[in-house]
Amino acid sequence: MQVLDNAASFQYFLPEAILGLTLLLILILDLNKELSKSRLIAPWTAGVGLVLYIVVALALRVQLPEAITFHGMMANDAFTDFFRVFSGASALLAIFLSMHSKELEGVKIEYWILILGITLGMPVLAGANNLLMIYLAMEMVSILSYIIVGYLKKSRKSSEAALKYVLYGATASGIMIYGLSIIFGVSGTLDVLEIQKFLVNNPVGTGRIALFVGLVMTLAGFGYKISAVPFHMWAPDVYQGAPTPVTAFLSVGPKAAGFAILLRFTYTALAQFNPETGIFTPLKYLDITGLMAVLAVLTMTVGNFLAIQQNNTKRFLAYSSIAHAGYMLIAAATLSSLALQGVLFYLIAYFIMNMGAFAVAIIVINATGSEELTAFKGLAKRSGGGALIALLMMVFMVSLVGLPPTFGFVGKFYLFMSVIQAKLYWLAVIGMLNSVVSLYYYMRVVKHMYFDEPEDDKSLGLKGFVFPGVVASLGLATVVLGVYWGPIVTFVQESAQLISK
Amino acid sequence: MTLAWIILLPLLGAIINGYHAMSCTLRKQKVITGMVNFVGVGLPFIAFLIALSQGIPFILGAEEPLRETLFSWITVGNLHIEAGLCLDRLSTLMILIITGVGTLIHLYSIGYMKCDPGYAKYFAYLNLFLTSMLILVLADNLVLMFLGWEGVGLCSYLLIGFWFEDKAKAQAGKKAFIVNRIGDVGFLLAIFGLGVLLLPGISEGASIFNFEYIESKMSLIAPSTIFWMSSPIILTLLLFVGATGKSAQIPLYVWLPDAMAGPTPVSALIHAATMVTAGVYMIARLDFLFDAAPATLNVIAIIGASTALFASLIAIVQNDIKKVLAYSTVSQLGYMFLAMGVGAYAYGVFHLMTHAFFKACLFLGSGSVIHAMSGEQDIRKMGGLKKALPITSMTFLIATITIAGLPPFAAFFSKDHILWKTYSHGHTVLWVMGLLAAFGTAFYMFRLYFLTFTGKSRVSEEAKAHLHESPFNMTFALVVLAVLSAVAGFLGLPEVLGGHDWIKHWLNLGAGSAKAHSAHDHAMELILMGVSVAVAACAILLAFLLYRNGLEGPERRARAMQPIHNLLTNKFYVDEIYDAIIVRPIRSLSQSVFFRVVDQKLINEVFVNGSGKVLSWLGSCVSRIQNGFVNRYAFYFLLAVSVFLGIWVIN
Amino acid sequence: MSLAHYLTLAIALFTIGLIGVVLRRNLLVAFMSIELMLNGVNLSFIAFSRYLGDMQGQMAAFFIVILAAAEAAVGLAIIVLLFRRQGSVQSNLFQNLKDRIEV
Repeated sequence: MQVLDNAASFQYFLPEAILGLTLLLILILDLNKELSKSRLIAPWTAGVGLVLYIVVALALRVQLPEAITFHGMMANDAFTDFFRVFSGASALLAIFLSMHSKELEGVKIEYWILILGITLGMPVLAGANNLLMIYLAMEMVSILSYIIVGYLKKSRKSSEAALKYVLYGATASGIMIYGLSIIFGVSGTLDVLEIQKFLVNNPVGTGRIALFVGLVMTLAGFGYKISAVPFHMWAPDVYQGAPTPVTAFLSVGPKAAGFAILLRFTYTALAQFNPETGIFTPLKYLDITGLMAVLAVLTMTVGNFLAIQQNNTKRFLAYSSIAHAGYMLIAAATLSSLALQGVLFYLIAYFIMNMGAFAVAIIVINATGSEELTAFKGLAKRSGGGALIALLMMVFMVSLVGLPPTFGFVGKFYLFMSVIQAKLYWLAVIGMLNSVVSLYYYMRVVKHMYFDEPEDDKSLGLKGFVFPGVVASLGLATVVLGVYWGPIVTFVQESAQLISK
Repeated sequence: MTLAWIILLPLLGAIINGYHAMSCTLRKQKVITGMVNFVGVGLPFIAFLIALSQGIPFILGAEEPLRETLFSWITVGNLHIEAGLCLDRLSTLMILIITGVGTLIHLYSIGYMKCDPGYAKYFAYLNLFLTSMLILVLADNLVLMFLGWEGVGLCSYLLIGFWFEDKAKAQAGKKAFIVNRIGDVGFLLAIFGLGVLLLPGISEGASIFNFEYIESKMSLIAPSTIFWMSSPIILTLLLFVGATGKSAQIPLYVWLPDAMAGPTPVSALIHAATMVTAGVYMIARLDFLFDAAPATLNVIAIIGASTALFASLIAIVQNDIKKVLAYSTVSQLGYMFLAMGVGAYAYGVFHLMTHAFFKACLFLGSGSVIHAMSGEQDIRKMGGLKKALPITSMTFLIATITIAGLPPFAAFFSKDHILWKTYSHGHTVLWVMGLLAAFGTAFYMFRLYFLTFTGKSRVSEEAKAHLHESPFNMTFALVVLAVLSAVAGFLGLPEVLGGHDWIKHWLNLGAGSAKAHSAHDHAMELILMGVSVAVAACAILLAFLLYRNGLEGPERRARAMQPIHNLLTNKFYVDEIYDAIIVRPIRSLSQSVFFRVVDQKLINEVFVNGSGKVLSWLGSCVSRIQNGFVNRYAFYFLLAVSVFLGIWVIN
Repeated sequence: MSLAHYLTLAIALFTIGLIGVVLRRNLLVAFMSIELMLNGVNLSFIAFSRYLGDMQGQMAAFFIVILAAAEAAVGLAIIVLLFRRQGSVQSNLFQNLKDRIEV
């Protein structure tokens, strides 16, 4: 595999450069007094920049061969490109939701810049091939997230969420970087692929225990990023306190980036890949699949059972997102190409249905001003588009449960399929039992919407076609892709290619 | 994409009307009838036009099937299933019937369902049904076909229980659904079996359940075994179990008479013309597989002939106008299966087509009568309706003559082909059964006709005031269908009568069907033809003598034959027998063991409440940890890391 | 002094920091403890770097210092915000976001 120097690497960095320039452009535009008065100019510029980013990333995916860039700092393979597109798309949707949320009326340009900054960090995290790079990218995403969670200075909840996030996040990343330093000390290198080489060549060398300690600490750091139980405790509080569009963004974008680095690290540093058979074998004495399976079971179960008890919409969605991380973890724990594809596939499904659910939540919160689940009561009977929005929410809920004919079902099918192919039947059974449990709390929302009477006669007040149109297209995608998912499979199969030596 | 549009247009209609129905119900608004009509009838009509434009080349003789691979549907490992459509002569015939008769029945429904509160919902379901049925016949692989198969089952359930406020009707819907499920298990097992046989040796990218692929692998399937039995026989028997469910054959026919609880146009479309023939279509589609399983074919022939006779006997004593037609449908489906069983696939499909016309016409006619009688369905309370309903009675008469099998109407040709094939295959007993069924058919249909339309009026004064001929959109459908049922038979004018037997050569089904021993014994064929015409004529004469003046005479005579009459009125006690040997034991077992012990104690108390309690206790424990105190969170993080480290180091 | 001495000191610093985060309710002290943890990490990196003769570790230490500063800046800003509203920086005052237990 070719390792490129900085000059040759720059072409691979073109999409991120575009994103960085967009960020600067917004800052410059804001200097102009006339332009800075317009509330729309910054989000639109950011949106255009993101579209450009996705387009260029997709073009480069075809144009350039996979390579290790910046002297081994980054791995630019199809996997990284996948997360470029994914981050770009989630940021686009987050910006769109932010523009239509009442909580965020009158935000200043920093808000959009923060979103762009986080977006810049996510693909770097997904492509990091160096322990230091992992840490830097993770902090880039995290620190900006702390700020954006606390963005509503007047809101007590928002500040409290930011405090918890920053304290928890700093501790978690401190523990992770300590683990990384131990790995560095034992293996003598920061390069992920070199570490794998070292581990393969020294199967029972000195410092094995130290290496264990370092690995567990590192995985705990990744676990914090994907909010895996028991490293999830920040998530419900932060998700509840943050502005709703931010919660939507955090539960999709950075979480996916966390999964990206978890997958890359476990699949490239801790496993051997045989390109001919396409089989990953875990390294001897360093098999972390058991640990990941335990994490997965805990994450699913705790997420689901605590979601049942929640009465706050955002908290409920937070636990639901924890549970979904668990489903993806069970596949990730099987260490196979099919699992890699399954997780990427599920991320797309999760992106669509979760963003959709949050969009509906934003509509309801906008209209009723209440974040309680009871605000969904009688949604179908509300005027101003209630029937449509309730129908869409039902589609998202059904998809989150994983019932056909929705995208969520197909996603779960591929996840469980990979688990079954790895003969980990007990994991698959636990996963399915958890899906059954989740049926209860998702359908409770549907029950509220259709069988209960609204508590007040407020109209949803949806104006225009843009916002309902976007939510409706998410709903339509959930159903259509639940029947016709061929291209997604192809895309995911192409994307599940990790660079290896 | 052209073929896909045929499916997508009704689907679009279902979505639009469904959404409209839902939003109207929720907001308690009135349904916009014009829009519903336009969408609900217009889109199927456009689909019919497209189907016609695509089908004409085939009618004119094109042979090469038109294939459309829409997308790669399921890809897991080496299992690969494509969503593909295929139009050949067989499916051309089917889609023309489905969209053509379907459009007519939609048109008819505008009048029939007027003022029903579920108007938009009704059209949404009906359009969804068309979609599913079209998927079923256009699918180029078994899995997609199964999707349509389940889809029509769902729509059938929804429409039988359309007036679900009436408990009996809701239960009829459930009955249909559950009985169909039994059949579907067979179908599914057959699909799994095929997968098990074909998957190990599949080549890269081949769509495994594709009909063409299965046919090309027949050399692999034919000699193989499943559980020590020849796999074609096992597979076809399983498929046939599916067919008996959907096409209401013995022993799974019991749902169809009850399915008459749905609106009459539904009975016409789903439970006469299209859905119930799905089993016949499936066998015709898989003719190569059934050809390899002669044992199964014999089973099919026997079941078919028995069903034909059995149902026609029951129909003789029914007094509900729709029940008579329902049993008649079961009986006619029996003929189709008889044809399939003797390898005369083309004639089975031919009878399917003629049956679609005349039975739809009869059902719509009965709908028109029921409409006129303000919901009355009992023929004992009718009589002499000819004057009030001239068009209905005329078309009903034509369809009745057709089904009775008098030349030159359609069913004469299609039914006679089947009987002749049965005879020439050496199944003399089955031939006699078929002939007896034909006698029964002619008798009960003319009994129905005479009791309804001729003689003295037994209509109540109240209903008499409302008697009226149906509006134009309803009679239009009747006239078209009557004309079709009168003339469609000429498509299969037998060679012995100077025709070319066009339909058989055109469909060209089942390589083995053109067996040598059906060699032309023209004299014999003509004699048998004469016999069946004579039988039908006798039956009609008998019906005329008995029922021309209403019921009093026959009822007196019926009392003389009390036991037989009772047996027939109670439909051979099949429902009661099922009830006694299947439903009741299961229910009492459920009551005593499953409900009291397993459900109440074990599941409800131990599993549900117990696990619920344990879990909510566990949940609240974990929730207690989530107490909002951030230092504590950091502590648990640390704790978790230490525990994981400990476990791992120990291992 | 050998590598072990440095590493022991690093672990000590790190652990003291961790214990501080867990035990101290004053948010400012908690943040100082996080800085202590990161200094432990730095020391560990530098010691390994020196031992291995590989400059990457020292480079890492520089980046960690920078990120620690950034983190502290954001953290302090949030603490100031909370202090203005609440008049206190005790972490147990901020417990509004939590699971509500109903049984």
